Amino acid sequence: MSALDLSLRGQAAAIAAGEADPAELLEEALGRIEARNPALNAVVASFPERSREMLAAAPPGPLHGVPVVFKDEWPLPWRAQRFGAAEMLAPSAPGESGPYRALRDAGAVIVGVGNMHELGAGSTGNVSVYGPARNPWDTERCPGGSSSGPAAAVAGGLVAGAVGSDGVGSIRFPAAYCGLTGLKPTFGRLPMAGHHMADTSTTIVSGPLCADAADARLLGSALAGESWEAGEPRRPRIGIVRGEVSEDVAPAVGAACEEAIEALRAETGGEVREIELADLGPATMATVLIANVEGLGNVTPAKLNALDPELSPIARGVLKFRSLLPAAAGVKSYAMRTLMRRRLAELFAEVDLIAWPTVPAVAPPLQAPLIELPSGTVTADSGNVRGAALANLTGIPAISVPGGLSEGLPIGRQLQAAWGRDELLLDAAEALERATDRRWVEARPSLAATEPAQA
Amino acid sequence: MDDPNHADELVPAGLRALGIEADEIELAVMSAAKELFWPPLLELLEIDLAGVDPEPNADLSRPPERV
Repeated sequence: MSALDLSLRGQAAAIAAGEADPAELLEEALGRIEARNPALNAVVASFPERSREMLAAAPPGPLHGVPVVFKDEWPLPWRAQRFGAAEMLAPSAPGESGPYRALRDAGAVIVGVGNMHELGAGSTGNVSVYGPARNPWDTERCPGGSSSGPAAAVAGGLVAGAVGSDGVGSIRFPAAYCGLTGLKPTFGRLPMAGHHMADTSTTIVSGPLCADAADARLLGSALAGESWEAGEPRRPRIGIVRGEVSEDVAPAVGAACEEAIEALRAETGGEVREIELADLGPATMATVLIANVEGLGNVTPAKLNALDPELSPIARGVLKFRSLLPAAAGVKSYAMRTLMRRRLAELFAEVDLIAWPTVPAVAPPLQAPLIELPSGTVTADSGNVRGAALANLTGIPAISVPGGLSEGLPIGRQLQAAWGRDELLLDAAEALERATDRRWVEARPSLAATEPAQA
Repeated sequence: MDDPNHADELVPAGLRALGIEADEIELAVMSAAKELFWPPLLELLEIDLAGVDPEPNADLSRPPERV
């Protein structure tokens, strides 16, 4: 088996032990990108000489010599970010970003830039100036967005870890669609410097996309420049919420989530409590509004009248539509944030975790990203955002973990915890993996058919 | 049915007021966006949040100071 098929931590350990040659590993990763990427369009730029230089200069560190993919949302010293778009409406230039510096200082080697949904404005990943990234489980299906390329790269076995970003679910959606573990950390915990909205966004965070929780812990630790220790979740109180977010979902998704909650309870000796969390619908709208208006500082009518014709019609229309959103709704959105933060602070005195499905249905077709729910047919975007927005609105951490297959496609389950309890989410995700004999984190699409990644 | 509040005119009238041009495809996208956004937006506006002032300089990495 190639060292490239080891887990992220397995690759790091093998290099540290002298059992794997990082130069060979890098060449294998570059070769894997060349071989598999045409089917996936996960990586939109690779730069073998830059990667070799990065390896040559790599310090000893927790990811020394380990190849990773980096979302097209931050610049690199040798490449400006494009945000998956023909035009960003924001300055863009090569440079060092916080996530880049963290990876470099951990010894990691960036082997490619990951595709993304155009302007970060979609949960499906089917729109990009580079063309859509494709889901390794079925290349005619959406990989999820906006961190589409990072997720497809990991699920396709190009690398074992990738850095994405999550402004309204953009790590968790592709994690769910591609059968990965994706952590949206507590707001501000992982670096964002160099992102064009680092100083204005109150929803976006960087975070890891990996096969399992132990790898996400390692990559998250490296990004944070901290050591996130593993532990055992002690009899966690698991909150479940009845209503649209957990019940207006495809039957297989609902069943998988309920099984996961019971498996986690049984594995940890915890308990399940039904909790009330009112106004999730307006809170979702508030999140969408905040995420949409916080980037408007760069926008003028003159710029909107001169948009690059290569931008998709959807992006052009949505960019212009944003200017019509009423200011009163924006102000109300920030008050809604306060209300939900207060409610969560009270709830997290009663429960340690809140569980519901990451997305209501499995990955839809690239050509028509619609999903069938008990309430009817809706766009994947409008269904997906319901389960993701709360964490971005309030700043709490959330994780999507693989939880089964339906129609041969992965199901994602989401856990949320109080501010700063990111490690609890990783501990709970690992407990869930144990409870299910790791079968969902070791499942691989046929496109990436090798033995399951070894720790 | 006639819309007494002229809601269907919101997009073209708003664009005209702001001096923003749009082609037919962009107008169709915006019309779809309005269909999607407006009902929950109106629901948000209907909520009485008196007494829930936004946190000044909220630290989103922590719980709110006042619950």
